[in-house]
Amino acid sequence: MKAWAVVVALCATAHADPVEDAGGVAWMHYEATAVHDVAQTRGVPPARDLALASAHLHGILAPRHSRFGLHAGFDLALGATARGAAFAYDVQLVPIGIGMRLGETSFIAVAAGAGAMGAPGTISGAATFPVELDAEAGRGVRVLARARVLLVERASRSDGSPSAPFGDELDAMLGLRIGSAYDEYGFPSGNGLFVAAAYREMYGARYAGVTLGYSIDIARPR
Amino acid sequence: VKRLAGLALASCVVARQPLVVPANDVTTVMLVTGELGHPIENIARHPWLAVRRAGEAEWTLYEVPSTTSTSDPFQHSPYLDPILHKVWRGAEADRAADCIEHHAEAIIRDIDDHYVFYPGPNSNTFGDRILRACDLHASLPSTAIGKDWRGWIGAGVTSEGTGLQLETPLVGVKLGLKEGVEIHVIGLSIGIDFWPPAIILPLGPGRLGFADR
Repeated sequence: MKAWAVVVALCATAHADPVEDAGGVAWMHYEATAVHDVAQTRGVPPARDLALASAHLHGILAPRHSRFGLHAGFDLALGATARGAAFAYDVQLVPIGIGMRLGETSFIAVAAGAGAMGAPGTISGAATFPVELDAEAGRGVRVLARARVLLVERASRSDGSPSAPFGDELDAMLGLRIGSAYDEYGFPSGNGLFVAAAYREMYGARYAGVTLGYSIDIARPR
Repeated sequence: VKRLAGLALASCVVARQPLVVPANDVTTVMLVTGELGHPIENIARHPWLAVRRAGEAEWTLYEVPSTTSTSDPFQHSPYLDPILHKVWRGAEADRAADCIEHHAEAIIRDIDDHYVFYPGPNSNTFGDRILRACDLHASLPSTAIGKDWRGWIGAGVTSEGTGLQLETPLVGVKLGLKEGVEIHVIGLSIGIDFWPPAIILPLGPGRLGFADR
């Protein structure tokens, strides 16, 4: 019986078409974000302002008809701090995660990985180990949300978040896209400009600001 | 709001060249790009070189994946919102047309054989390669992703001919008298164009400022 089960499983695998059987959703954001410190718990932080231009490319790869899949993403941000006009960077790869598809292109997903963030002369450069939660709902008009907790490999930046349940730093974004939705070529998709509230915690300070961006999402119907 | 957002993206470029088909009294070569379809229309463009010999009515469009003919070089389905980047006329266009005819087939075949939608080689890599092969001094817009594909690592003179670039699939840089400063990160371009002046962005027509020409 066990042997038959193995044979059946092998045959099923042999006949599987990986492209036909694959599904999922992918999303990409271009963002311009500026934040300013609005509250301090440990005195004046080394950087009171931070402006970043960023690109975020993520996806959930799932079996064609499944609601659940693997989530991975790459995020890259370059910019500057106002004080000292220091070059700032924030880059991460989050290859290990899971996501749940909701509706046609909506989803909630979490992923973890590694990266680096700093601004020479102001924010001490450090390796980061982020855990990121992403959620988007809607089609053309779409709610976009992201929250990220980072473990930071630098003593001067440890415990820098007053609110994070774990980790040393936190950043988050909640926005609304006013865009368009499409169903061309059998793929539900959408794109458009969005505006979002941006929030970050590091060095014991709370930063708030705004994000302007452009986002694209595309999915394969389940 | 959607219309305003669309207008904001479309109106980033001042003094675009008008889409007027020139008279056929002399040979004409034009560099044109169009948007890809939804949902990537605002981040990805596709180029074609339109060639029409003196006295002829039809244009030959050189592009990846193949060469085609048309009577209107700006209406090229499925590409939207065509932008005319550069026009060569007369003796200069005769030389360009000969060169494109000579080189295009081999470059198209090479790219078709190794085609990768992102980061390249793709249709934009063809645009850049044919411009450089034929000394046609022009730049593709920053949203022509794949224009800077030089393999795993590559360096050389820019298509505009007044600068140098060093590229890898992950990061690259272009510096030039006319090109300005352009940084490429995972195929996205950000920078400052010196002439005509503009901020180079990886969105919409690829620049905020005056149209390139």
